[in-house]
Amino acid sequence: MKSFICLSMHIFFIICFPGPGIIAFQASESEELFFSSNQAYSQGRFQGAIDGYEQLLRSGHKYGTLYYNLGNAYFRLDQLGRAILNYERARLLMPGDADLNFNLNHARDKIHDAVSESPNLVSMTFFWLNDLSLGNLLRIFAFLNILFWTVLLLRLFFKFELTYYASIVSLILWIIAGTSFGLKFYQLNTDNRAVILEHKVNILAGPDISDTVLFNLHAGTIVHHERSEDGWSLISLPDKKRGWVRAGAMESVVIQD
Amino acid sequence: MKRPILLLLALFQFMLFSCPARGDVSVSIRVDREKATIADSIGMVVSITGAGESDSPPVFKDMEDFHITQGGTSSRFEVINGQVNSRIDYSFLLQPKKTGTFEIGPVEVRVDGKAYRSNKTTLTVVKRSQSNSMDQDPVFLTAGLSSTEVYEEEQLIYTLKLHHQTMVSNISLDLPEAEYLTFRQLGKPVEYRSFYNGQSYDVIEIRYVLIPPEKGIYIIEPSKMEMIVTQPESRSRRGLFDDPFFSFSTGRPKTLTSEPLELRVLPLPDTGKPSDFSGLVGNFHITSKLEPDTLKVGESATMTIVVNGRGNTNRIPDLKWPEPEHIKVYADEPVLEIREDAEGLSGSKTMKWALVPEKEGRYKIHPPSLSFFDTEKLQYQKIKTPFLSINVLPGKTKQIQASSGHSNGQNIKGPAKKSVKELGHDILPIHTSVQGLGKGPLISPGGIVFWFIFIGPFFIYAIAFLGLKLGKRSDTFNTTLKAKKAARKCIRRCRQDETSSIDLALYFRNYLNERFGLSLGSMTSIEAAEILKSRGVSHNTAQEIQNILKGLEDAIYTGKGHNVCPLGEDISQLVRQVEKEIQ
Repeated sequence: MKSFICLSMHIFFIICFPGPGIIAFQASESEELFFSSNQAYSQGRFQGAIDGYEQLLRSGHKYGTLYYNLGNAYFRLDQLGRAILNYERARLLMPGDADLNFNLNHARDKIHDAVSESPNLVSMTFFWLNDLSLGNLLRIFAFLNILFWTVLLLRLFFKFELTYYASIVSLILWIIAGTSFGLKFYQLNTDNRAVILEHKVNILAGPDISDTVLFNLHAGTIVHHERSEDGWSLISLPDKKRGWVRAGAMESVVIQD
Repeated sequence: MKRPILLLLALFQFMLFSCPARGDVSVSIRVDREKATIADSIGMVVSITGAGESDSPPVFKDMEDFHITQGGTSSRFEVINGQVNSRIDYSFLLQPKKTGTFEIGPVEVRVDGKAYRSNKTTLTVVKRSQSNSMDQDPVFLTAGLSSTEVYEEEQLIYTLKLHHQTMVSNISLDLPEAEYLTFRQLGKPVEYRSFYNGQSYDVIEIRYVLIPPEKGIYIIEPSKMEMIVTQPESRSRRGLFDDPFFSFSTGRPKTLTSEPLELRVLPLPDTGKPSDFSGLVGNFHITSKLEPDTLKVGESATMTIVVNGRGNTNRIPDLKWPEPEHIKVYADEPVLEIREDAEGLSGSKTMKWALVPEKEGRYKIHPPSLSFFDTEKLQYQKIKTPFLSINVLPGKTKQIQASSGHSNGQNIKGPAKKSVKELGHDILPIHTSVQGLGKGPLISPGGIVFWFIFIGPFFIYAIAFLGLKLGKRSDTFNTTLKAKKAARKCIRRCRQDETSSIDLALYFRNYLNERFGLSLGSMTSIEAAEILKSRGVSHNTAQEIQNILKGLEDAIYTGKGHNVCPLGEDISQLVRQVEKEIQ
């Protein structure tokens, strides 16, 4: 029985924390395309770089690095909206990347509209959520999940004081990690942020071009996309302003596969 | 003797209080001159004859053209040839406000409730003739400008001089009100003695500075000075009491006005006006100082520039100059000092900068320049300080690092730390490493690996837990089955017909052996009861079993063991009771 448990745990650790050989990038055409796109960027052919990065993304390589590079290329072409959109997408995948946060802050400084989200109680309590991606939280939770059940398993056979406290501590960590993972998962699945892409767009009172213009928004401003109707999207701002905008004038941060 | 005395007293009282006839009351006014200048004060006396007192002071009507000051009151009482006369004189001083011929009076006085009116008189007030009045007046006021034609923002001096040969006191001054012109007094009034037209005067001089802000022609209205002039009464003999302290002099108010002045203010010329001209007009010069001129990297030197001169010093600008490369410049708050003297306003502005070199070398400091309009040369001037240089030696930081192992624990301070100044803004470059691309989500929510990792440990634990539980449950189950089986066997046998005492005792012993896993070959009733008690059977049941077994033992040991025993049913019931109690 014990040998069976040890074998199972060994398999779990190998799966959860694979060695570098396992995660090596599959050298292929994609790799060549990535390098050629980088070269285009360094030579100032930013549109060529964008085409390359977009092709990689379309082929399923949805990595933070690609979104980051794409954001840089759009920034160089003065497409602030698309630059911020891709930086935000990259941030979902690698929120702790220092370069990304620097560039995103720099791009945000250039936004015309003063729209900012105020932190809520959840984000203040689970303050680490903004700096950890869902993958990171998943790995942490996976580790703590295995640790917790392993400790419980040990306690079945060895009812020592040490295993008792270890089970209590691992239970607390397991709950925290599980809650964090759950919240992050919920955030990502309810993330309705969208980025204004055009230089200046009219926000109307209704989904019709003849409706009253309520206010204007500019490229890079992040709004909340509530619903879409007939090529129009209902958006809202943190200060409760609401209105309709043409669907093509903005794009959601989270890509719905 | 007494009667004559009483008569005299009665007569005296009658003379004193009864004689003044109220019906003879008359009021008259008189002035001390019929013609006066506007600068004079005219004495006027209102006399009330025939009354010892009036109900109220005299009331003037239609005298708005004069300032009226009451001088005093005198009463006179006379008895001449039995005729009693009384008179009250009210003295007033009139100061005309304008020239012209004025009718003085009538004045109304109320005596015993009855109103009496005075006569009228005429007074002619003429404009004062400067030359004549100055020649003749012992007190006169003059005003003058240092220059009647100046440029914008050029300062000039307005001087008021009070010449007097008599004593004056209680002087008050009303300066003219001129739009855009502000009179700023220069120091305290100066008193000195001077000669005017061959006559000696005491002079009180007051100076004001004027700075006309805009071009144009300004009329400076006369200044007005009011005072009390003390005129000693003329005496034929001079003696000890001719001293003013003892003299019986009278003071009368006097108002003097100066002559109006015209000021012509010229615009500053456009030709040659420097681009950095700040409106500074006057005469200025500039000095600079740099201390120390040799220092090390990280240390600070102080550059001081002082602009001083005469003119509108408040317009001295804060000077700016190009900051040399590799030298941080921190400006201090400029200090402006304005001084007043008899010539007008002068002052200085001191500006200081702290220079902190960041790199060794020799640096040239380009001095700032200052432009102003020179009122002496009547042209714009540009002044600047000579070039300054600063010699920067290597700082201590590197030396400290090199010799830090030999510093003997001395606390050597490095250069002053400064916040990093951002010079530009741009994004950081792209990521070129393929390693970043390898960070794909190996574990994704909903995938096989995800469920394997998150459900797997739980299943392993559950299996282990159940295995342990089942293992335990199997032992107990076997024991229970064995016990039930033994009980059923014992009951079935005990219920058989014609069962002897030996058989019953054997059945019960076998039951206990099978039920509790024992291997007893023989067993007394007491031992059986103890076993049952130790396995959780109640004392009563154990005692009943002990009694039955004792009966069986007695039958066996008395030779009746093979006889049929009727206790089979009792034993069966007791076995059931045992099973029940043990469970």
